[in-house]
Amino acid sequence: MHKAAQRRIIIPFLMPALALLGIFFIYPLVKTVDLSLNEFSRTGMMRFVGIEQYRLLAGDPAFFNSLKNTFLMTLIGSCMLFPPAMAIAWALSQRIHGERFFRFVVFAPVVLSVAVVSLMWKFLYHPTLGLINPALKSMGLGALAKTWLGDPATALAAVTFVSVWHGIGIWIVLLCAGFERLPADVLQAARIDGAGEWRVFRSIMLPMMRDLLRMLAILWVVQSLQTFAFVYIMTAGGPFGSTDTVGTLMYRVAFDRADFGYAAAIGVVLVLVMLTVAKLLNKVMKRDDLQY
Amino acid sequence: MKVALKLVAGLVLVPGLALTACGGGGAGRPAAKAPDAKTWQQDIKGGPIEVGVLPAVGTPSLTFLEDVAAGIEKDYAGADLKMTFANTKARPALEQRWRAGDALDVDYTMFDGTNPALLDWADEGALLDLKPYLDQVDTDTGKPWLDQFSPAVRQFMEHPATKKIYGVPSELSLQVLFYNAALFKKNGITPPATWDDLTTAADRLKAAGVDPIAVTGLFEPYMGMWSDNLWLRTVGYDKAHGVLTEGKGHITDDPGFLKGLQLLQDLRDRKSFLQGFEGTDFTAAQAQFFQGKAGMILMGSWLVSEMADVIPEDFELGVLPFPTVPGGTGDEASMLATAQLMSVSAASENIPLSLEWIHRVTSAETQTRRAKEIGEVSAVNGVPSPPGLPGISDIVTKADRLQASYYGLLESKAKDIVYPEIAKLLFGKQDAQQTLDNLDAGLRRVHGN
Repeated sequence: MHKAAQRRIIIPFLMPALALLGIFFIYPLVKTVDLSLNEFSRTGMMRFVGIEQYRLLAGDPAFFNSLKNTFLMTLIGSCMLFPPAMAIAWALSQRIHGERFFRFVVFAPVVLSVAVVSLMWKFLYHPTLGLINPALKSMGLGALAKTWLGDPATALAAVTFVSVWHGIGIWIVLLCAGFERLPADVLQAARIDGAGEWRVFRSIMLPMMRDLLRMLAILWVVQSLQTFAFVYIMTAGGPFGSTDTVGTLMYRVAFDRADFGYAAAIGVVLVLVMLTVAKLLNKVMKRDDLQY
Repeated sequence: MKVALKLVAGLVLVPGLALTACGGGGAGRPAAKAPDAKTWQQDIKGGPIEVGVLPAVGTPSLTFLEDVAAGIEKDYAGADLKMTFANTKARPALEQRWRAGDALDVDYTMFDGTNPALLDWADEGALLDLKPYLDQVDTDTGKPWLDQFSPAVRQFMEHPATKKIYGVPSELSLQVLFYNAALFKKNGITPPATWDDLTTAADRLKAAGVDPIAVTGLFEPYMGMWSDNLWLRTVGYDKAHGVLTEGKGHITDDPGFLKGLQLLQDLRDRKSFLQGFEGTDFTAAQAQFFQGKAGMILMGSWLVSEMADVIPEDFELGVLPFPTVPGGTGDEASMLATAQLMSVSAASENIPLSLEWIHRVTSAETQTRRAKEIGEVSAVNGVPSPPGLPGISDIVTKADRLQASYYGLLESKAKDIVYPEIAKLLFGKQDAQQTLDNLDAGLRRVHGN
């Protein structure tokens, strides 16, 4: 009786959120599925073709190449992002002189627009007019100088690095919040018991932050799988498709070729991939709650 | 609990499904009544119209067009011309407006008679047929309005099947070989007329310590200008267009395709391209040409107006058509070009004022001023070469035919096949034969032939 009454009270509170979910998630999703079952002319006239777009997609090497690049970007990006973000967040959670200044420096790139950051790094990466190669040469490391964005071996990592550089501040802030929430008495007890800082970090801090790390990993994967702007501005998917992601391919198909049905099919598959990966990650990284 | 679940499902799904049901495909508002072709100029009335323009905000080119618009606003009480940027990056949003029935009154890139992908808007009645108006005698010249345009651009303006006209060119973009004339003179190099001249010039520039050719490695269609022009010479436009864009035949059918790729490979192997071009943006590549770090650049005739701010005052620019290829079996005297066509929406609420806009922009007087002040190449007969592009009018006159740039590939799914393979060839990742094999496999797949 009491529970039933509780449920009746909850429903009106849920209604606004559910309506928003319906309009901004379910509707676009249903509409995208609807579009993906049609073929479009440039003018937007559509003709129902059933699952033909998905059949074409299954045999399209450009799609699989973009999917591969997107996953690679996610993987490379997570290696570039989490270790330094963790280290910086840990350092900022210590009592260090000038902590506010360092926090500002770390967070500053986040406020720049993606376009500005992309163009700036495009210049820095320029093989002869940029700053990176001349700097390497002046340090006697000329052998490391590359045509960063023009070499399929380095272009994807170069673009991913810029994306990480731009956004790392946010992740550091989130991790800092995680470090600050750790119970001081537990950490203090470990130190009194003789644990060094590395041991405290590895055996106490990390396990206690597992839930936060799981959530951040899922967020990173979801964000990376949707990557578009940095690639579009810096390389447009080149050289020869080595940085083409699902996002850039979808944009080209929709707006260069006006093939909205095919682009929608790519979008639907991307949503399914994201949901599956997020679910898998959640399952793999899930552990029993720590009680302390 | 069941009631709650139903409520939740209803709240989430019903708005979504209802909105889905409301959505629909298909373009546009119904066509407005077109004015009588003989009296349209008497029917011009004031009112608001929105016209697409290619120059960006803050450029002298836009200021020039604003002056033209101000002239119309002065002549017709109540006329209010709103300019909307309608170039490259703005196209997706503008095309969405057309699909949603909120088209600009005058817009670009809605039609090109040489590109099958750009006939749809005309075929589905979204564009006004301009032929009846162009056939009328222009009071300024005493001849039909249509006669003022070079016959070389008619194919771009005209629908290949119906022969109706859906676009009028405000300017021409020609693919030409620019060279640093002072650098050539200093080193005693003859401007290249043939492919052999080009390789000789490249070798001599290299010997003089200058990178011979500026090119970007970060925008594949600009690298593709080289193969496009070579194939024009070694294969011919119609054959190349058929194979690349329309899937008529195979790229292995005509040996000219391989020959073109081999010539390009030879140029690459001579290390003729800008050092580090693989990671160089097109703006940087163009700037390096004007800084004297490269001797030549194959680019559209827009180069001069686009780079006006960085061209040194004493820079001596030379302009040439793409070199001929001895033994080539293609079109030796044609050149690749794009006519920037203005089209009028059939649903425009003020068609006479829209027609007046394109009439003013394409008048010989406006085009002459535009060539002199802005450096645009005109498709209007008798308009002189822009001072920054010496001899371009002669080059156009000598060309036996203008052919569509990029073979219409930019709107085709074959674009993702052709230009990446050309980039691989230029980057030294494969030779000409491998490039041909990869192109063959890719084109067979996308065209299903």
